[in-house]
Amino acid sequence: MGDFHKLIANVREALERHDVPAHNGAAGSAATVPRTEAARRVELASQFARELQALGGHFLGTLSPRETIARIVEVALALKAHTAAVGAGIINDSAPIAAALERAGISVIRTTAIADDQARAELRGNLARCDLAVIEADYGIAATGTLAMVATPERPGSLTLLPPVNVMLVNVERILPDLAAALAAIGAATIASHRVALVSGPSRTADIEKRIVLGVHGPREIHVAAVWHGND
Amino acid sequence: MRFLPKSNGAVEQDFFAASEAAVADTVLRGKLENATGRHLDHVAATRAEFPAYEDERDASRRIKQDAIARLDELLVQLKERLEGNGCRVFFAADAAEARKYIVGLARERGARRVVKGKSMATEEIMLNAALAEAGCEVVETDLGEYIVQLRGERPSHIITPAIHLSKEDIGTLFHEKLNIPYTSEPEALTAVARQRLRDTFLAADMGVTGANFAIAETGTLVLVENEGNGRMSSTLPEIFVAVMGIEKVIPAMADLSHFLEVLARTATGQKLTTYTNFLSGPRREGEADGPREVHVVMLDNGRSKMLADPVLREALLCLRCGACLNVCPIYRRIGGHAYGSTYPGPIGSIISPSLFGAAAAHLPFASTLCGACREICPVKIDIPRILLHLRWKETAGNGDGGLPVPKWPRAARRARAGVETFSRMANHPLMIRIMGRLAALVAWPFARRGYVRWMPPPFSNWTRVRDFPVPRLRGRRKSSSAAGSKAANRGTRT
Repeated sequence: MGDFHKLIANVREALERHDVPAHNGAAGSAATVPRTEAARRVELASQFARELQALGGHFLGTLSPRETIARIVEVALALKAHTAAVGAGIINDSAPIAAALERAGISVIRTTAIADDQARAELRGNLARCDLAVIEADYGIAATGTLAMVATPERPGSLTLLPPVNVMLVNVERILPDLAAALAAIGAATIASHRVALVSGPSRTADIEKRIVLGVHGPREIHVAAVWHGND
Repeated sequence: MRFLPKSNGAVEQDFFAASEAAVADTVLRGKLENATGRHLDHVAATRAEFPAYEDERDASRRIKQDAIARLDELLVQLKERLEGNGCRVFFAADAAEARKYIVGLARERGARRVVKGKSMATEEIMLNAALAEAGCEVVETDLGEYIVQLRGERPSHIITPAIHLSKEDIGTLFHEKLNIPYTSEPEALTAVARQRLRDTFLAADMGVTGANFAIAETGTLVLVENEGNGRMSSTLPEIFVAVMGIEKVIPAMADLSHFLEVLARTATGQKLTTYTNFLSGPRREGEADGPREVHVVMLDNGRSKMLADPVLREALLCLRCGACLNVCPIYRRIGGHAYGSTYPGPIGSIISPSLFGAAAAHLPFASTLCGACREICPVKIDIPRILLHLRWKETAGNGDGGLPVPKWPRAARRARAGVETFSRMANHPLMIRIMGRLAALVAWPFARRGYVRWMPPPFSNWTRVRDFPVPRLRGRRKSSSAAGSKAANRGTRT
């Protein structure tokens, strides 16, 4: 066991994780948990991707934060976008996303809390006219390809309603297996005090001869990136 | 024979005349078969890949039964929580009270432009006409509802309002009413509606929708939809009104997922609708979205009468998924308009008499009792049993239990006496044999190719609605099975 102890210490040093005391081997089984967890996350992310695509959404991939930003800019450029709205992030900082879009020549609207009716009208006008909106979702639901959005003043729900295209981020550990798990994670207290929307793919209708048409009142295109932190 | 005495607005037309005309309309039948058939294929496919479906269905039924059984306390709790969240709650005993409140609100706030999300409850109370009369411009924003509003019609299906129209019909309509070049492409037609309605949404003063669920625990309204019309209506206008039947309340947030797992699967064959919106109150400090005022109209309009009837009470479990319409052999042949009620199809036939009174008393008879509705219902409502119950109440002629007194009590008494006489005779094998021969002799001269299609009065009332096989003069065909059925056949064997 002595050699193993040393090996782990060497690995930790290589990772520059000096603060963690070296493992003594007594609780060795704990080391297998992260791997299982990772496999489970991959499974949920790919199930989510399949369901989203079945709804007519686009899955950008399971990406590192840096790759995510690059892909968002690619999508915006492919759309020949002039204006993009960017909502405040949850786990992922939205500032680098906004900066990257601006570097690519796209003007950015950053949503913030508003002060009065004039600001409200201005924001709505902007959101209705912009080419796409970038926004982070609170949770993903693997079984249905759904994104759960809890609205805040900095991350208004109309970001996923008024613009024609949505590019959405969801952290991979926040992709939950099913609806019941997502509602439990959001919690009754949040539901009672926030505007919450579950979004499953692009806005759609089947009102004309039961033929499916995308983009009725909400976005007609949805792109989703599952963000995986830690292996950039 | 006129079965319907007078129109009361929510229910109109002579059902026999309307259904005869609809059956003769082969074009309409083609559209209905096409649309309902496609729906049933989707539903079967989504259910097959969801093994927990039956469990979720059971759970939904049990939760809803429990909620209906303690509706009083849940409504009190819901009202308290909604008010705690900053909503205003109005309890409307009937359609007139609900209309009066909403029209009064629009007047008081000077709201002229009203947008509506898809809602059956507002159709039920005929809100549009009342608002229009008060000088408001009311625009339906669900694509199907927008189409039928442009045509000056009402929806012919609970969830697919324009199911009776082809894409060519809609192309012609848009060409004439919206002044656009003719196209029958659903994509192009949808894009036109999107653009027109977007401007309407952004300018609206007031938004009105229904509610699919109301959570008592949190004081939250839940709206499910695919297009975004409900989301728009509850996000953009300064004043928002939700009209909910009192049976929409569910106890807790944890109950909701069971309903959502079955609702879309049965309604449209989707796993979940595109949008599930949660709204608990007006917008908070700093928020751009949401109304300044939220009003919740809790609508009774006959529902407490249904609750008082132990058999009819089960109809309050209904989630308004519309699937029973699509499986119903009657609906598939005559479509929604022929029923003459806001709620057509099997579910409409059991709830309309309570909601709209005597004008809808004939609807429980518009069914073959085949049971397909009970099979597909996500909360397993025993619709055939309730239909029989309502038929019994209607013909009993006393109008007790909250149901109106029949409009044609003499006919009901006569029918009842006839059925009683028949059941007495049916107990005597000899009588049955004699009556059978007699019937055969009377019918024989009118038989054409094995069926009696027409007979003179007073028998013409029977032959008007169905063809009868010619009664046999020489008893029934021999039983294919052996000894066991002999006793049963003895009565008719010669």
